[in-house]
Amino acid sequence: MKRIVDVNIPLGPIHPCFKEPVRLKCEAKGERITGAEVELGYMKKGIERIMKGRPWQEVMFLAERVCGICSVIHNMVFIEAMEQISDIVVPPRAAYLRVIANELDRMQSHILANFSYCYTIEHETLGMYLLDLREHVMDELERLTGARVTCAYMIPGGVRCDIQRKEAEALLVSLDRIEGDLRRYSGMFESGPMIALRSRGVGILTLEAAQRAHVVGPTARGSGIAYDCRQNHPTYQKLGFVPITRPDCDNFARVMVRFDEVFQSIDLIRKCLRELPKGVVRGGGVCKAGETRYSGEAPRGELTYFIKSDEFGRIVEIQIQTPSIMNIEACCHEMIIGSDSIADVTATFISADPCVACTER
Amino acid sequence: MTTYLYEQDLVPQKYRILVAMRHDILVRKIALELNIPVQELRRYLIEHLDMIQLENLPARAEMAADHADQGDAVAQALGREKYTVYLQILSGAAMDAIFREVDARLQTGTPLDDAIAYGRIQIREALNI
Amino acid sequence: MNILQRIKNKVRSRSIHVAYVDVGSCNGCDIEVLACLAPRYDIEQYGIFVHNNPREADVLLVIGAYTPGWEEKLAMVWEKIPAPKAAITIGNCPISGCLFDRKGSFVDPPVKKHIPIAAEVPGCPPRPTEILQAIMSVRDSVFANWEEEH
Repeated sequence: MKRIVDVNIPLGPIHPCFKEPVRLKCEAKGERITGAEVELGYMKKGIERIMKGRPWQEVMFLAERVCGICSVIHNMVFIEAMEQISDIVVPPRAAYLRVIANELDRMQSHILANFSYCYTIEHETLGMYLLDLREHVMDELERLTGARVTCAYMIPGGVRCDIQRKEAEALLVSLDRIEGDLRRYSGMFESGPMIALRSRGVGILTLEAAQRAHVVGPTARGSGIAYDCRQNHPTYQKLGFVPITRPDCDNFARVMVRFDEVFQSIDLIRKCLRELPKGVVRGGGVCKAGETRYSGEAPRGELTYFIKSDEFGRIVEIQIQTPSIMNIEACCHEMIIGSDSIADVTATFISADPCVACTER
Repeated sequence: MTTYLYEQDLVPQKYRILVAMRHDILVRKIALELNIPVQELRRYLIEHLDMIQLENLPARAEMAADHADQGDAVAQALGREKYTVYLQILSGAAMDAIFREVDARLQTGTPLDDAIAYGRIQIREALNI
Repeated sequence: MNILQRIKNKVRSRSIHVAYVDVGSCNGCDIEVLACLAPRYDIEQYGIFVHNNPREADVLLVIGAYTPGWEEKLAMVWEKIPAPKAAITIGNCPISGCLFDRKGSFVDPPVKKHIPIAAEVPGCPPRPTEILQAIMSVRDSVFANWEEEH
């Protein structure tokens, strides 16, 4: 299918604003974008093909390395899917600790996404403030799980290690500090006139288009879709979780949803620590044969694992549907169409928080 | 697809996307529904969709199953919105023309099954496979 | 090498531009490289600027296990970097493929096969301080005999 276009501008695979390699071929009329084509294949490792035929003990670490930014949720969704197949019950204390690890991971991912956005619209000061704040969150994640990025904290029937009383106190103190700083930074973002000029009304994703493309996560909630997989998770239901939405549908809404969700995560962790039940953190269990579809809310949206295992706990069939697939698709075929300049293309692309490693696996 | 001077051949990489578990199930389902060879449909998809659209096919198909063509049996059987708005493998104008023809046949008293079978043949021809 | 040349080499090695290229990793190492920018590690205090533009870079950070999409392209990027240059690999993936180098995967490690590598930082992922240390240890050798040779 050949098309004649006015100007064709390829962006990437190496681009100063993109963290990962992806190639966007923008079709433009003058500087107005009329269409875009995405070329992937720079990160295709074939993780699902490696996973097939391997025991869960190995697949667990592979699942974590689908994405380095949101590794905790990949671990959590895979383990909870295996638990669902094998009817393993998680001790209540472990379930709460999982929420704490997951929310810390969400905080660092959201702060990183907002850093990338600020960096892309050339607001480096705010970007660096946020990146510094992220290091504090990473410290807390390291204190809880023992590693910064790939921590493999969750195992079938519980978590690897308990949280000590001193650690919990330090976490609370750190959360207070993070919340104070972040309130200042989100205020800076919300009230910055230049930021508003670059963000408000740019990269519109309407509710209908979002629904058609199955957009998930903060990108969907910035378009007014009140859907969050955490609503269906038993532990989050106990904590009284309510999703945050904004009706504006633009870049500004998406970034602000992420800021709001970090505050929400801080509240959830505080509530978890307050209500943390006593007891063991490792219940144990044996993985069995079965087939399931299990979804969890990753920082970028709904993450779904389709798993079929055999009686020794080996993975027979697996496919991972990551949130970035849907978000990047909607971003490249809906949001950036009609952008007034190429500079808005990168900003809009980053505002959807794309993760190419997730998309290609 | 626009041609570039320094372009890689993307067909093998696109093919790898299409043979993943859920993509394979979906492609086989569509091929069975429209009665076309699987490999031909894959070739059509590779030529007409870009890589991220191919990756997103199962998610879009899922949304189409839940939301597309509500309350219209003929449109649902032919996949009017499913193939145009959701999966985007056929242009809206071509689909409208097919739908008008099928509607005309229904008006003249053709049984529903025959009209839908005729519509599917028309879709196959529009896809040019 | 006279004293002027020695001073020039020394001064040059205090201003390094870095580009990074991801050739198929899990993103973990990318983010640790980004974390080097954070005020806590503050890569710029050592005169290292991360620009992500190969044409003005001195050091190329290669992350990932080399996927088929990068055939020809990684070598092209390497050629575009001006003369005194060095490549550092970050993480286990470029060294051995980490856990991606199994039967059925598409990766083709090590990256050493495709472009010359000056230093390797193992770890899955390495800490930002280790990445910083690797860049600092390579920067002196990049410009060590530069003035004399050219």
